Amino acid sequence: MKQLKQILTIALLLLAWGLHAQHSVKGTVTDKADGTPIIGATVRELNGNAGAITDVDGKFELKVSSPEAVLSVTYTGYSPSEVPIEGRSELSITIGFSDNVLEQVVVVGYGTQKKTDLTGAVGSVKSKDLERIPTASVDQALQGKMAGVYVTPTSGEPGVGAVIRIRGTGTLNNSNPIYVVDGMITYDASFVNPQDVQSIEVLKDASAAAIYGSRGSNGVIIITTKNGKKRKDAVITLGTYYGTQSITKKLDLLNATEFGTLYNELINQQYYPDPSALGEGTDWQDEIFRTAPIGNVQLGINGGSDRYSYNVSANYFNQSGILKNSEFERVTLRLNNEFKVNNWLTLGNNLAYANVQRQYAPGVIGGAYRMPPVFAPRDSTGDFTDPTSPFGLAIGNPAAELYYRQNNFARSDRFFGTVYGNIQLAKGLTFRSNFGFDIENGRGRSFTPKFEVSASQLNKDDQLNVSIGEKRDWIWEQTLNYNKEWGKHSVTVLAGYTAEERRYEYLNAGRRNFPGTSDVVLYLNAGNDTTQTNSGGAQEEALISYLFRLNYTFNDRYLLTFSMRTDQSSRFTAGNRTGVFPSVGLGWNIGQEDFIENLNIFDNLKLRASYGVLGNQSSAGLYPSYGSITTALYAVFGSGEDLNQGGTLITLGNPDLRWETARQTDAGVEFGLLGSRLTGEIDWYNRFTYDIIAAVPIPAYVGSSGDPVVNTAKVRNRGWDIMLNWRNNGDNFIWNIGGNISPVKNEIVELNGQKAEIFAAFLQGEAATRSAPGLPIGAFYGYVTDGVFNTAEEAASSPRLGNESAGDLKLKDLNGDGVITADGDRTYLGSPIPTLTYGFNAGMEWKGFDLNADLFGVSGNKVYNAKQTFRFSVYNWEQSFYDNRWTPQNPDAATPRITNGGHNYRVTDRFLEDGSFIRLRSLVLGYSLPQSLIQRLKITKFRVYAGGTNIWTSQKYSGYSPEFSNSGNAYEVGLDNLGYPVAKTWQVGFDVTF
Amino acid sequence: MTTRISSNLLRLTAIVVLFLASCQKDFLDRKPLGQLTYDTFFENEEQAVLSVNAVYNQFRDWDCISFPYIGNTDIISDDSDKGSTPTDALYMLEIDDFTFDPTNATFSGVWRGYYRAIARANLAIARIPDVDMDVAKRNRLIAECRFLRGYSYLLLVQWFGELPIITEPLGGDSYYTQERRPEAEVYALIESDMLFALQNLPEKSAYPSGDLGRATKGAARGMLAKLSMLRKDWAKAEQYCQEIINSGEYSLLPKYGDNFLPVGENGAESIFEIQAAALPPNNGVVGPGATPFNMVQGVRGIPNLGWGFNRPSDNLVSAYENGDTRREATVLYVGEVLPDGSAVVKDNPEIVGERFNQKAWVPAHTGLQDNGPGNIRVMRYADILLLCAEAQMEQNKITEARTLLNQVRKRARGTNNFILPDVTVTDQAQLRERIYRERRVELAMEQHRWFDLKRWGRQQQVMQAVGKNFVAGKHEYLPVPQTEVDLTGDKIRQNPGY
Repeated sequence: MKQLKQILTIALLLLAWGLHAQHSVKGTVTDKADGTPIIGATVRELNGNAGAITDVDGKFELKVSSPEAVLSVTYTGYSPSEVPIEGRSELSITIGFSDNVLEQVVVVGYGTQKKTDLTGAVGSVKSKDLERIPTASVDQALQGKMAGVYVTPTSGEPGVGAVIRIRGTGTLNNSNPIYVVDGMITYDASFVNPQDVQSIEVLKDASAAAIYGSRGSNGVIIITTKNGKKRKDAVITLGTYYGTQSITKKLDLLNATEFGTLYNELINQQYYPDPSALGEGTDWQDEIFRTAPIGNVQLGINGGSDRYSYNVSANYFNQSGILKNSEFERVTLRLNNEFKVNNWLTLGNNLAYANVQRQYAPGVIGGAYRMPPVFAPRDSTGDFTDPTSPFGLAIGNPAAELYYRQNNFARSDRFFGTVYGNIQLAKGLTFRSNFGFDIENGRGRSFTPKFEVSASQLNKDDQLNVSIGEKRDWIWEQTLNYNKEWGKHSVTVLAGYTAEERRYEYLNAGRRNFPGTSDVVLYLNAGNDTTQTNSGGAQEEALISYLFRLNYTFNDRYLLTFSMRTDQSSRFTAGNRTGVFPSVGLGWNIGQEDFIENLNIFDNLKLRASYGVLGNQSSAGLYPSYGSITTALYAVFGSGEDLNQGGTLITLGNPDLRWETARQTDAGVEFGLLGSRLTGEIDWYNRFTYDIIAAVPIPAYVGSSGDPVVNTAKVRNRGWDIMLNWRNNGDNFIWNIGGNISPVKNEIVELNGQKAEIFAAFLQGEAATRSAPGLPIGAFYGYVTDGVFNTAEEAASSPRLGNESAGDLKLKDLNGDGVITADGDRTYLGSPIPTLTYGFNAGMEWKGFDLNADLFGVSGNKVYNAKQTFRFSVYNWEQSFYDNRWTPQNPDAATPRITNGGHNYRVTDRFLEDGSFIRLRSLVLGYSLPQSLIQRLKITKFRVYAGGTNIWTSQKYSGYSPEFSNSGNAYEVGLDNLGYPVAKTWQVGFDVTF
Repeated sequence: MTTRISSNLLRLTAIVVLFLASCQKDFLDRKPLGQLTYDTFFENEEQAVLSVNAVYNQFRDWDCISFPYIGNTDIISDDSDKGSTPTDALYMLEIDDFTFDPTNATFSGVWRGYYRAIARANLAIARIPDVDMDVAKRNRLIAECRFLRGYSYLLLVQWFGELPIITEPLGGDSYYTQERRPEAEVYALIESDMLFALQNLPEKSAYPSGDLGRATKGAARGMLAKLSMLRKDWAKAEQYCQEIINSGEYSLLPKYGDNFLPVGENGAESIFEIQAAALPPNNGVVGPGATPFNMVQGVRGIPNLGWGFNRPSDNLVSAYENGDTRREATVLYVGEVLPDGSAVVKDNPEIVGERFNQKAWVPAHTGLQDNGPGNIRVMRYADILLLCAEAQMEQNKITEARTLLNQVRKRARGTNNFILPDVTVTDQAQLRERIYRERRVELAMEQHRWFDLKRWGRQQQVMQAVGKNFVAGKHEYLPVPQTEVDLTGDKIRQNPGY
């Protein structure tokens, strides 16, 4: 403080010496958003020499050359402001957050950079965009916001994250990006409360992501949480919202009368003499789905002084699932501090605690889809109905399942954070030591009471299972940062060393036969100790890395970035352990060259290009090199029927596994036009992944219980990221509209080794996808239908697969050999990967009102409606089948006759549907009370809002949602096997700032 | 100030350098925790035994002994129908009705199941020779594996014909390159495996009681007899059977039905069984010694014992001679009291012609139905006696053949002299029919029928006679699972007609 004042004084004295005609001016710089003073803003005389930095109260004082001079006020992350003095001696200046991307500072790996200095492709979302639209998680907030970032909510289950693909699907296996939360690398950022987030940056190309080396090839999502501002007055924010969620769409399944009619038709008997007597029956969807509440309360306090800053927040989030008996509850606390200990040492921390409690519903969605409507959930005596007869159902009564298996809870405590120290060693040279940790203790607890609904749906002994899991991850990073400017040159060098360890251990235990079912009794000790079981295990990995980055800028126009990371991973054997990941990026702020400036078109124009090599170790699994001996392979021998331990290698390992590597080329242009009202960014990229680590299906005669992982393939993702934004800053009416569009072509270039194609997604023994060179990963594969045989004669005289007759699917004889064969007549049917994803964002503000909307859509992909193909016993049908099926009376039908399984349910284009959709991700209308009204209440801001999520969708797919959960297996992404459907939400809320 | 910074920097640098130096090497060496790994497996006798037990373990797998197995042995034959309710598991009905194609899950089931057993055996056979342990025991362990491998190939070759012959652990470069080899080559492998087993395995009585259930000399002889029958090498078949008979290790149980009750497990008549036991469940609801064999065939309805698959056919029921009590020991009818007297089978209106395979019945046990305790009887002494009789008959040794045949009938007759009179025919062709028929009823619902029909060349005649859609020149062999053809790009060729 003292030194700062000394510096200021000296500066002022120097100024006073050199200047003659002087005008003294003082004033305050405050934040436009909340009126609080800004510390450390630079105030300069435009075209003059005078300058000052605002103090703890936001005050400044300086002597300028003339009373008519103009002051320029700049502050990192804020729009610069130019204020004419107009003879005044005291000024009150307000500045606001920058809306202009050019002035933005973006977070890159291990540092920050001005957007104008970037040579890489980095997408950025600031807190302002996140705050307007309430979301439950960070990944959902990203949907539709950036070109090249494709977010699919995999499930509507509360607390379940989205799948994110950055610039296509990079590999055959794990294509998930990594998250870096305040410097700590994690694979799961679900604990982050979106209201705590200052910014989210997505590193898309090699120039940006190579600093994350072996984990950068699928992109990097950097989440930076809010810190306090260095100012005296604390800012208190309080926000809350409440909403209701419901299923986006209900499927049109048969009622009991229609079902009875079809059943009679199926077995060719009048099992139901009068189907209409069955009436409507049960719509099982109504038995499992519900309208469910969602709510959130957020309290935050931040502030500071010139020596420290703090941000404390507390959040409570509660979401009930639209599937009954599923709940998610999260409490998060955050404490971010930074202390300037002295003029060479700064200490800081970003600490978060999250407590999550959840209830898991049993898997009943498939059951409700398949259960015949002729059963009531409960019979007249109130007992659950046994639905097994007469259909031999392989599924249980979903209502009973929900009831008896509802006692399934999990709880976790997660401590996540970083503690750091920065030491200024010399001018421009800083050493930083950053320790990050992620400690999570989870507990699971489930109790299933004794029950019997039917012979196949029962639990003979009541049973309690508890589990404990403990995660201990840490990273310790040492980095040196050197910064020097001379003349027109500017250099920043980063060098560092990091070590990290990740470890997880779990313990499960269970007992049966409890003397009661009350919560007081349900602890393991109360169970029968002769029934006790336990299991446990652990896993760990470690990584050591060296990093280096050089940024060089000449004349603010010519930009060079070189970065390199060397990773050594415990996942590989010593010989294959080290990976080197370099990248180079070039940029040219061509807009500053005279020949462009003279055009008077561009406010800025930048060209950039980058090339680099990135790795992906996460496809490998933790111990891919070791074949694990499975030791639970018991045999029984002896007159006493004794259990003998058995064990052997049943899944093959691969000690020769190498890094999976991606080469990425990017070329981009950034521009601003019309006074930077129109800004845009266009990138072309070519991302080529080779040595892809994946488990490949092998013939069963090899006898492996699992498929081995090998370096097997090459995949190319080539596409464009295009973003355009229009912003109009009027006095009363501010509006912006933006769009992003990302065409991408995913293509397998080569499958190495013995096998040129990979069949997967087996449905009743038949592959539904075939991945091969020239095709996208997981391309659908099967027979092509040509309608339905109208008559038995037609069937008999046509190429057939088996004994198809009238009403059965007619398959195309693609190779024209007169017979339908598996080898000759199956073909590529479509891609599960969208060729185009796009988003539109619009916002406007007018007299206190604000309106924001996000649209998101995809096109070019197909969906395989796999849920319809499972018919192990007599399940319910969809209305469209009932209405369109072939019958002797309806011989021209497009849909085959009724059969239960068999030929008509084989893998054909019958079940292939268009996956394109456009969805109104969110729509929020807000109103901020006028300052005149709230100032009397000492409130800075008061905003109320109402809106919704997923409230409108235009989809072609007949299922619940074109966004559905999948196994995560790249070969099976487009198959809908009935997961937890996403919900639509309506909500109201308010935010207050004191 | 500068000196202060320097000393701090020195200290920090020292810490970092120490940290780097101290842990870098070990820091990155991480092995799977709580697990043995292959690089340190097969280092001692205990691990060798583990690896062999793991081969036995596979024979209790779903693929090896439930739907795929009974589907392609009993249900596909004229002995039984699919069972259960009419629409339950229709892919099983496809086998019963010969409407299947290569994607039917039961074909991939048996193929996968037994090739996994072969892979486990191959690994043990390849690695145990290097284990430092007692030579006799080492040879016994290898012999057990070769027996189990030979048995797996024997099943597979009868179902599918030509097979990829895999006798050692496959490396990555040979996953997709295997081709099917002629049946004669498969036979040769089975023979060499069984001869090794015969030489190195103990007789049943020579095992310690704790090892009861492991493969024996007798079992190896039995498999060699079966192989010889397939090769129509009657003399050799007779010779192996005679060795079993003369070994003194086996005899017929006085009561036929006891063979299939707990009391008959590993009894005097038992030559080889897949061992199972209902042990307390240790993970979920299934105990570590269970099989689903009993569950899938158990009474469906009241008392609820299972799923009710593998329904003895009308044709089988009418195949018995008048008064043959073996029928009652084989078929469980509505209204019949369970063998342990615990309940009466009630009529289940959802099942047409309800009856069950009584040989798969087991009394009440720990755990649920899927914790099935019943040993699966693979080879009985009566089977060997009838094989011997058949081999003798084919060599025109009519008297000897008749003697053995009547030995089996005598046991079935028990004390009731009004039934099952001694066979007295002298004509070879007539005797052949009597032996074939005896074999059917004696071994009904024990998964032998389909292979017998195939061996006798009677699949077409018998299956068409019971109205099945059997196509000659096609259905004698099962189709190779489509996935094998797909994955090898036709290197594994499909059987004719599919």
